[in-house]
Parts: sequence; structure tokens; C-alpha cells
Amino acid sequence: MIQPFTQRPIQWVSDQGELLQDLPERYTPEFIRELYRHMLRAREMDRKLIPLLRQGRTSFYAQAHGMEATQVGLALACRSGHDWWWLYYRDHPIMLTLGVPMLQIVSQIMGTASDSCKGRQMPHHFCAKEYNVASISSSIASQIPPATGTAMAQKYLGTDEITVCTFGDGATSEGDWHAGVNMAAVSHAPVMFVCENNQWAISTGVADQTASETIHIKARAYGMPGYYVDGNDVIAVLEVMSHVADQIRSGEGPAMVEALTYRVGSHSNADADAEKNYRTREEVAEWTARDPLERIEKLLQNMGHPISEEEKAAMVGEVGDEVAAAIDEAAASGTPDWDLMFQDVYAVQPPHLAEQEAYVRAEQEALA
Amino acid sequence: MSLTVERPQAELGETKTMNLIGAITEALDEELARDKRVLVFGEDVGPRGGVFMATAGLTEKHGLDRVFNTPLSEAAIVGAAVGMAIRGLRPVAEIQFADYMGPSFDQILSQAAKVRYRSGGQNTAPMVIRTPSGGGVKGGHHHSQSPEAYYTHMAGVQVVMPSTPYDAKGLLKAAIRGEDPVIYFEPKRLYRAAKGELPLADYTVPIGKAAVRREGTDLSIIGYGGVMPDAISAAEALAEAGVQAEVIDLRSLMPWDKEAVLNSVAKTGRAVLVSEAPRTSNFMGEVAYSIQEELFDQLLAPVIQVAGFDTPYPYVQDKIYLPSGNRIANACVRVLNY
Ligand SMILES: Cc1ncc(C[n+]2csc(CCOP(=O)(O)OP(=O)(O)O)c2C)c(N)n1
Repeated sequence: MIQPFTQRPIQWVSDQGELLQDLPERYTPEFIRELYRHMLRAREMDRKLIPLLRQGRTSFYAQAHGMEATQVGLALACRSGHDWWWLYYRDHPIMLTLGVPMLQIVSQIMGTASDSCKGRQMPHHFCAKEYNVASISSSIASQIPPATGTAMAQKYLGTDEITVCTFGDGATSEGDWHAGVNMAAVSHAPVMFVCENNQWAISTGVADQTASETIHIKARAYGMPGYYVDGNDVIAVLEVMSHVADQIRSGEGPAMVEALTYRVGSHSNADADAEKNYRTREEVAEWTARDPLERIEKLLQNMGHPISEEEKAAMVGEVGDEVAAAIDEAAASGTPDWDLMFQDVYAVQPPHLAEQEAYVRAEQEALA
Repeated sequence: MSLTVERPQAELGETKTMNLIGAITEALDEELARDKRVLVFGEDVGPRGGVFMATAGLTEKHGLDRVFNTPLSEAAIVGAAVGMAIRGLRPVAEIQFADYMGPSFDQILSQAAKVRYRSGGQNTAPMVIRTPSGGGVKGGHHHSQSPEAYYTHMAGVQVVMPSTPYDAKGLLKAAIRGEDPVIYFEPKRLYRAAKGELPLADYTVPIGKAAVRREGTDLSIIGYGGVMPDAISAAEALAEAGVQAEVIDLRSLMPWDKEAVLNSVAKTGRAVLVSEAPRTSNFMGEVAYSIQEELFDQLLAPVIQVAGFDTPYPYVQDKIYLPSGNRIANACVRVLNY
């Protein structure tokens, strides 16, 4: 039984890859491999995209390294193309797992003409209408009240969709967070709030963020169940998130899940010196030892279905090729035209913007 | 084009060269040392030293009870500053990016700006909100906006924006020592690009006074913040063609130095107003209005505004969005040929 408000994070697999609970039926070795493949894809995507910064082909990168189990487990617990998502900037692995094409993700990060968002937002601020992923805002916690609204609409319209809203531990301090969570509870909206607690908000540790013992217990004050899961255990994440999604879908109202995980890399490219400035190497080492991918490798080993070196190398190679092809294709699409800057401000371009566009056109023609 | 803005002022005494962010750090450091009531706080400003390193080393030097991290809540940061100020402290709150002042808007509008007036002058909120603003750093709209006009519209707060290291330090000290809430915008693209001479001695730059960056007789270029190096480079380009532009840096928007602007435009008869904020309801609209109201019959040409556009700040077209030296010079040519 999956229970809310547990003292410790719910686990299925130990750090050493041992089973702590019986595996539900669906976890065949093939399925577990599939989970592993999704996580590896996310990890390798990160690894291959970070060099874009050094090459000056993007201006910002927010790694998800270490958080793959939380993000993959969550994505697979919901129905892609059916449920709705209000994500935050570190969630590219969720999008990838939902099936958003690599090219679309890479194009947004590079701001190329192939970016469906037309090169307007900074990197890692994706939108994928066809996957019901609402556009990401960097203003922390500003997605929480709109997520509640989407869920209220789903309830009003009588759909069986749910809304998933993700955020970091830092976001739980913002007023918008409290306002959105409270309204969701009162309106019984079908929304799953997921805190990807990676324990740091830039240089501010979670103990300086909240005096609350955990994040998930805050749910109690608002009148909704709060679940606590080991965010580096993909099976526990998938089980807990699936359970919670089912509950919400069956009309139980909103719920909150806290996935305890760790941001292994820097917050962004701006703080590559994290270990020097605000956290210890020992802490990072402790958490890298709990790596979500290695845990599954060990589990499969213990189950007698190890992933061979060749198999792993082939998976890594495959993702590498996929990312390289996406980068090439995105680059080949060129830079978005300057006049895109003046589109989509309103449904119909008002005269003052047409005037401003004409002004820049004349300027660009004179420069050409 | 050099981004270094020279100060024409003479008597600086003994000086040293600093960049704009260094001047901010130094102002905070000196004010913390001078006055025990000064506290510096915000997201990541403590041990790490802020995302731009404006507070680097200050926790180490002044202690964690005076320079500290807060939870990620702009409303709490600004609201707490108001309460501290009323209780006798001199809080300096950092909002990590001006784009994130949104959550604190109500605390500024309803509390900071109103405390003195609504209490009949019994309570006051002498506090400073520091925040990096403006574009030019490939930050997309959430890290590039210029929201200063919103804050000039709420009576009760002062609004300043330096463009030189000298002013950055002097205005910040004046803001900390002043008796009112001050919103102190920092043009982030000049943090390291703007270098200049700073006196070794203590000094302040009075809030509400503009600076003449360059004297001229043919037209007045008026700007503030991140656009100033481009305004000056435009003036230099015009000088090569024999046109002498006067360049005025407003430095303060609320209150603003109407007298300095009117004196200049009365002399030159032409004004080009430069700001990177979106054009509509831009603060420069107020400046243009004042010029036409006071100097209607002395103007030799219409007042022209060079501004950002009425679109959200774009990521890829970062550079096209901003008023360039070229764009400013073209506007000058337009008023000269009117
Ligand atoms: C309203 C707002 N304030 C400040 C920031 C600057 N900022 C960007 S990310 C961040 C930390 C966020 O931490 P958390 O929510 O824990 O997510 P994480 O990045 O750790 O995944 C801050 C303070 C912002 N983007 N929005």
C-alpha cells in the first residue's frame, strides 16, 4: 500500500540494487531495461548538450544530471498527449520521455529557426503544444496558479485528464506556490503537484529555504495528501506517481508528491564553481553514490539480467548520434528571422507594432 | 566603441579604477562597516556572494547576521525590509533580477511606497531594493526587462539607475543613507563593461540630479542606465561630422532632474530621448511631455524617442531590440535635418 505522509521516502530498490518490496507484475526485465533506457537517454542528452555552451552555440544550460529517475518515472506515470503539464526549466527529461522530438528540444536550446517557440525564450524554456506542455516561465513558482486553473478547467469540462505541475524546493517559498496549492485544494482540482527536491536552490540549501521538516508535509496544511518518495529510485517514483495520478483521476482532488533527489551538476552554467562556493565534495560524493542509473544496473544484475558493456555502449552511441543529428539539423535551419520579434504579441498585430516593425525593416535594409 | 564612460568632473582627489559591480560591492562594504543598522540580504547574496557576485566576500567580513540568504520569496524579502526599516534598520534587499520583482510588486506598491504618507509621517521605510535590469546579455525576456517605469508611477518610492562606477557607488550610498525607499536598478550589461575612476574618499551622489556627460550646443541626447555608452558613442560619431551633441545621463528617474534637461534643451533646441524600455508608457514619455510643455516655442524640431519595442524582450534578437549607437545617431540626424 502506498501511503501519504510517510516518515521516510518510499523506496522499492536500495542503493545497492536490492529489492525492498515485491515488484508489481509489470516490472519484467524488459520493462526495467526500458526505464533504464529512458534515463540513459536523458543523461546522455545532457552530457552531449553541455558542450554547446563552450562552443558559444547556446547561452544557458540547466542540467538535470542526477534527477533522471524522478523525471522519467513521473513522465511514464501519466498519459502522454492526454494529461497536461506545467513544468519548470530543468524538466527537459520529462519532455523527452513524453516523446517530444529531440530536434524540438535542441532547437529551443539553440534558438534556431527550427524552434517551435521562434527563438524568443532563453534556453530551457520549452513549450510543446502537441504534448500539452504549457510554456515554461523562469519566474519561479509562477506556474503553480495557472496549473491549478488548467485542472479546474479539466474538472469543469468533465475530462478525465489531470494536470501535473512541477517545481523545485526553492519554489515552495514563493507566495504563488501557496496561493496555487491552496486554491487547488479548495476547488478539488485534479492536479498533481510534484516537488523535485534536489536540495539546492542555486546556493541556498533546503534547510535555509524552509524550517519545515519535509516539503510533502506542507500538503497537510492545505488539505491534500502528501507523498514522499525516493527520487533516485525510478520504480518507487513510477509506482507512487501512478498511484497518485490514479487517485486524482478518480476524483479524489489534488495531491502533492515530494521526490527527494539531488542536483549533481551546477545550477546553471553561471555557477560551475558550486563545490567551491556553497556545498561540499563529500555531499556530492554521497549523492553520486546513489545514482539512479547505477541502481537499475545493479538491480538488473541482481535479477540475473545484467546489461552488458556492449549493450550499454550501443545505447550511449545511439543517443549520441541522435543528439548530434538534432544539433546539425537545428543549426542547418538557420537563425530565426528578425521580424519574428514583432509577431504573436497579440492575436492581431496592432498599428503601433506594425510601425515599429517597419522602422526596423528600414534600418535592416539600410544595414544590408 | 569604448564602453568606458569618462567622468568630466575634476576634483576626485586620489582615485582608483573600478568596474560598476566592484563599485557596488565597495559601497555595500563601506556602508555595512559605517552603520550597524545596515543589513544586506536576498536570494543567494550570502556566502556565495550573489549570482553576479555583487555581495562577494561580504558575509565573510560582516557576518551571517548582517549579510544573509533568504528563502526564495521576493514578497517576503521586500515586505520584511519594510518591517525592518520601520523598526529602525537600514535594509538593503537584493532582488536577483528586476524581472522577478513581480512577486514583490504589492509589497512595494502597498507598503514601501505608502508607509510614510498613510501614517502621517510617523512611520518611514528607509530601505533599498537593488536589482540588475536591462538587456544585452542574451537572457531572453525573463532576464532582460527594464521595468523602471512601473515604479516611477507609484508615489513614495525613489528610482535610480547609474551608468558609471562613480555614480553606482555614490548613488547607492545616498540611497542607503536616505530616508525613503529607493529602487536601485543596476544595468547588468555594464557590470563589467563600464570602468571608471573612483575617489578613495567617501562621497555620495545626490538622488534627483542628472549628470552632463558631454557638453554640446546642437542637440541634447538624454538617457540613463545601459544605453549611456551607446548615447556617448553616437555623440562622438556626430562630433566627427562637426555636430556637437550634449549628452545627459538622468541617473535618477524619481525624482528626476527636470531643470538640467530643460536647461540643455533650451540651449540646443533639439532633444533625442534614449531608453531601452518598451516605448509605450516609457519614462521618457514624461520627459518629452515636460519638454514640450515648457519649451514648446523654443524647439527647433520635434522631440524624438529611441526606445525598446512594445514586444516582450526577445532572446535571439537581443541586439536588434536594444537602441544601438547607430540607431541613436540616426535619430539625431533626423532632428538635425528637421
Ligand atoms: C521569481 C524568481 N526569483 C528568482 C529567480 C532566480 N532563480 C532562478 S532559479 C532559482 C533557484 C530555484 O531553485 P529550485 O526552485 O529549488 O529549483 P532548482 O533550480 O533547484 O531545480 C532562482 C532563485 C527566478 N527565476 N524567479
